[in-house]
Amino acid sequence: MKDETKTAIICIAPALVVIGIFTLLPIFYSFYLSLTDWDGFSPIKNFVGFSNYLELISSSDFWKSVGVTFYYAVGITIISVVAGLVLASVINRSGRLMSFHRVIFFIPVVTSFVAAGVVFRSLFSPAGFLSDTFRSIGLSPPNWLADPTLAMPALIIVGVWNRLGFNTVISLAALQSIPRGYYDKAKIDGAGNWSRFRFITVPLMKPIILLLLVMSMVDAFLIFDLAFAMTGGDPLGATRVVGLYLYRNAFHYYKMGLASAIAVIVIAIILTMSLIQMKLSKFGREA
Amino acid sequence: MSIKGISRTTAVVLTIAIIVVAAIGYYYFTLPPPPPKGELKFWNYWDGTNREAINALVEEWNEKNPDIHVTSVTISWGELLPKLMAAAAGGEVPEVAIGDLVWMPKLAKTGMLVSLNDFIKDINYTDFYPEMRKIGSYDNKIYSLPVSANNLQLFYNKDIFEANGLDPNKPPTTWDELLTIAKACTDPDKGIWGMELYTGTGEGLTWQFQVYLWQAGGEFLSADLSRAAFNSPEGKRALQFWVDLIQKDKVSPLAPWGLFGQGKAAMVMDGTWMVGGWRPGGWAPITFSWGTAAMPIPSGGVQATNMGGEQIFIFKTTDEKQRAAWEFVKWLTSKETQIHWDILTGFMPVRDSVARDAVYTTWAQTTEPRLGPFIENQKYAHSRPMVTQYPEISDAFSEEIQKALYGTVSVDAALANAETRVNQILAAAG
Repeated sequence: MKDETKTAIICIAPALVVIGIFTLLPIFYSFYLSLTDWDGFSPIKNFVGFSNYLELISSSDFWKSVGVTFYYAVGITIISVVAGLVLASVINRSGRLMSFHRVIFFIPVVTSFVAAGVVFRSLFSPAGFLSDTFRSIGLSPPNWLADPTLAMPALIIVGVWNRLGFNTVISLAALQSIPRGYYDKAKIDGAGNWSRFRFITVPLMKPIILLLLVMSMVDAFLIFDLAFAMTGGDPLGATRVVGLYLYRNAFHYYKMGLASAIAVIVIAIILTMSLIQMKLSKFGREA
Repeated sequence: MSIKGISRTTAVVLTIAIIVVAAIGYYYFTLPPPPPKGELKFWNYWDGTNREAINALVEEWNEKNPDIHVTSVTISWGELLPKLMAAAAGGEVPEVAIGDLVWMPKLAKTGMLVSLNDFIKDINYTDFYPEMRKIGSYDNKIYSLPVSANNLQLFYNKDIFEANGLDPNKPPTTWDELLTIAKACTDPDKGIWGMELYTGTGEGLTWQFQVYLWQAGGEFLSADLSRAAFNSPEGKRALQFWVDLIQKDKVSPLAPWGLFGQGKAAMVMDGTWMVGGWRPGGWAPITFSWGTAAMPIPSGGVQATNMGGEQIFIFKTTDEKQRAAWEFVKWLTSKETQIHWDILTGFMPVRDSVARDAVYTTWAQTTEPRLGPFIENQKYAHSRPMVTQYPEISDAFSEEIQKALYGTVSVDAALANAETRVNQILAAAG
């Protein structure tokens, strides 16, 4: 073995052990549980094969919750990545106010989803500030959280509000790492605003944009706390994301086997999504 | 091998020895066991002012009983059941704990609770209300005693009543009156509704709806708890009433819970605990003037409400600790302690003798008359069905009923769909 390899192994080992114990082990254990009918407490775990998976595959409630989660995740990803880029470009030109803007937009990122969910719930409520504002200008307010078509957009608004700061700050850092000279030279060659954006900013930002797409998507797919605090899955299951569906089976009904099967399917979905996104963008090759 | 081989002295010594051993044995086995001693952990989820109340009581107990020291441990409502179940499955159990009454079948089924059948010979068990005794029993054995209770009645906003020309001291007594008053109070331009209903999914909807179902004369499950019983003319009448309030008369909004507390709904059905919460100095004080009344009933219907509350139970540990735990449970559920407890917390009596006690009734009438409708109607309180699948049944029921409230399916279809799902869940092993 080369010395380099040895050093590498020694350096990686601590991280590997930690990841192994706290990430890989639970995943494998979860997979094992998904093949049982465990109730969460009893010492008996009967092996039931793939019957939990079969039950899920034939459950329209489960697929609806997966669909709802995709709706949320895609909404969050597209809006927060695009808006983050736009906002970063704007802030990049704001000069002395830049650090101020960075802090302002970052505050929602460090705000707890549960706290935000409760506040936005009352903001969107028919008795809330938003509705009162509508009424005060003589409009009838939309019933955000009780309207099956508006509840998810309301949830996405809050999700984007939370996500935007992170995507903006990362995009801003990437923007600032592009040497100004590129733009100056392009300008001399006669490139307009759009051309400079299209042929300099976008290609150089591509790895970061893709990273943000993957991260936002995965993060949004795991949504639980916001939906739990803001809508509880209502109305008519319009915001019952897969995290809520899992939580209910695990901690209301104590169907740990079924809940673990849901978790395994979610892992598979996220893995597939990430792989597809990387493949589409040839992310692996460039990074 | 003859007896002649034993000397006289040996024989005398042996005889004496046998007598002494027998005497000691007799003495030892017939003597009442020494008073139990021990350290007891007491898990409960009472927080806020209720936590202060239980801490005060536990402190009082510890002063009087230096041999049995109780430590009260507060665990949030959402975490307590998982923790209790995990403890019962092999973890470290607390000696004493309370549980929400709907948890009791699940806890009793673990086999880790001490049967109280022998212990209760010490006390006047029949003094506890029958519906609450039912909750403490599982498989014909008694596993828990009621320790606190609450129920649902009508709250109404007197300011909204007055603003709409209604007598603030005349709350509705029937469903028809409720509708009339709700219509008078609803003002869409101001965002004020007549009657707030629980329209979200989950137990909130289910346990509120059950009150209307029982009032109409219906039942939630069959008497043997094997199938749904709500898909009946009574169930349809109750659900039609809700659907009309929302869809036809538009006096109830489809909205997240909590409008009454914000002054945006004239009436709501809510629990005893809100009397303590909404009053000045409570944990959610509101500024407008409000009153309480018995829940209005349908014509030809009956008084009914839903019962909430806690039960107290003892975990299997050592014999001595179990006896020590019983001493504490006996004291906490005794008439004298219960009077003190109900006055501190505003909870409903669990014993008939407390409800009739002069000290208690005088306190209720003078200090918080708004508790009156709750105390008077506790006797009409039903308990939710004691089946281990209840949480799943409750969620499924609420999801199907919600579709009718939103007008996406008919009343008949919603009840039929709910019936199918509930029966499926009941048929699966609990």
